[in-house]
Amino acid sequence: MSIFEYNGSALVAMVGKNCFAIASDRRLGVQLQTVATDFQRVFKIHDRLYIGLSGLATDAQTMYQKLVFRHKLYQLREERDMKPQTFASLVSALLYEKRFGPFFCQPVIAGLGDNDEPFICTMDCLGAKELAKDFVVSGTASESLYGACESMYKPDMEPEELFETISQALLSSVDRDCLSGWGGYVLLVTPTEVQEKILKGRMD
Amino acid sequence: MKKMKVISPILMEVSWVPCSPLRRVRIGPIKVRYRMLLLVFRLSFLSFFPSLSLSQHFAPTRTKPHHRISVSLNLKQRKQREEKRRMMMKLDTSGLESFSAAVPSAMATAEDQLFAPPSFDLPAGCADFDKFQMEAKQTLKHAKGTTTLAFIFNQGVIVAADSRASMGGYISSQSVKKIIEINPYMLGTMAGGAADCQFWHRNLGIKCRLHELANKRRISVTGASKLLANILYSYRGMGLSIGTMIAGWDEKGPGLYYVDSEGGRLKGNRFSVGSGSPYAYGVLDNGYRPDMTVDEAHELARRAIYHATFRDGASGGVVSVYHVGPNGWKKLSGDDVSELHYKYYPVQPTPVEHEMVDAPPA
Repeated sequence: MSIFEYNGSALVAMVGKNCFAIASDRRLGVQLQTVATDFQRVFKIHDRLYIGLSGLATDAQTMYQKLVFRHKLYQLREERDMKPQTFASLVSALLYEKRFGPFFCQPVIAGLGDNDEPFICTMDCLGAKELAKDFVVSGTASESLYGACESMYKPDMEPEELFETISQALLSSVDRDCLSGWGGYVLLVTPTEVQEKILKGRMD
Repeated sequence: MKKMKVISPILMEVSWVPCSPLRRVRIGPIKVRYRMLLLVFRLSFLSFFPSLSLSQHFAPTRTKPHHRISVSLNLKQRKQREEKRRMMMKLDTSGLESFSAAVPSAMATAEDQLFAPPSFDLPAGCADFDKFQMEAKQTLKHAKGTTTLAFIFNQGVIVAADSRASMGGYISSQSVKKIIEINPYMLGTMAGGAADCQFWHRNLGIKCRLHELANKRRISVTGASKLLANILYSYRGMGLSIGTMIAGWDEKGPGLYYVDSEGGRLKGNRFSVGSGSPYAYGVLDNGYRPDMTVDEAHELARRAIYHATFRDGASGGVVSVYHVGPNGWKKLSGDDVSELHYKYYPVQPTPVEHEMVDAPPA
């Protein structure tokens, strides 16, 4: 098994009508052994910007700490929060700095930009940005997630429908992956509120 | 002395004989050896069919062919007949042959080439054949991602398994039958390569049935496991991946053997095989008592497999539990592991830190 499959992860972000949702599984494992079922993979940067990091768990945590540090400095200098597009460029640059000894993580960035326009993007472990208008996936269950999202996604969904769709896509995909699952975590962000929900999934 | 109901011996001719011919059997007040009973019934049967030959009663085994009207044969035909008979009586040791690749030696005589195992051309451009063979075996190596367990207690044998098949990280199926029914009183479990286990268990079932037909009594668990172990030993080093347990009930009572593709065969009271076996052993060893009831043993097996599916990524799906008793095996339950989790650990409502409340109308 490769280094990306050492801990196991599943991440997906989807765009709705003036809202977005980002979801992850909750398993932390050491190859096949499950060590924790409440591991956090989606982190807040500021109220309207979230990042999910799949891949090696230690690199995910380190990347998050570095990004929070950089964002706090930005806030002090610019006296405002970062825009999602800028943040994506920051992540990409940080990852490429380690081109010949990379962080083994694949980020999924989701945020609300100007005029409450939702923004999602994903990257590989070296920082190649992939902007998408509908959904992005990452992790060991990514192939199953692509299939599930492709078939379940509709453009301009309301928040409740978006939550249903992303939950179903996540749960059905991790049921086909040995290394991710054991519950789900969904974060739904609209211009006025943030909802976080924990999904009851298969615990095998 | 075990009491045995006697069913008409005429019907025994076409179905399995449940006991040895030498065993003493009681019909009402009379105690006779079973073979005496068979003899009496066969003679009475033959009184209606006098044309049948009587020689089959007095010769216990049929080694000589029946008498025929002699035909005058010349010397050559007689020699051919002798050789054919000798060939037919040769023991079939094909299962014991080793399949190591024969390196053609410079001093091979005609006889050596006749009796040598089949040889084949080396792949083109292959300088190091051993390394090539190791790599080929590595690609086919299965990690035995599963959890199966079996244990003997006073009331028989319990056999339990999960139902997930995985290819690396991908789950290829959540509904695989890992407990293979070899015959109505013997079960085998599957761990390792699914194709290997399915094929060789079916092969074992065939051999057990042939044994019954040839010897007129059921094969013991010891014998069945030995048959399988010998076959697997002859394929040792070829990349078969099988970690199986043979569980059954024979004349000596409950029997449990662990057999693997390295050729190992172990007799024991408790076994668990697969990537989830350490987790299952923890629960099984803690809760095991030889004097459990069938229900307690059932729950212990189910709990052990459930815990293994929770911790191990390569086990999951449905827990199947079977019980092997004196009258054969019976499937006790097949429970989805996820439902078991929420049954053992129901969801507690977590205390909410911040709860949104609608603002009262102004």
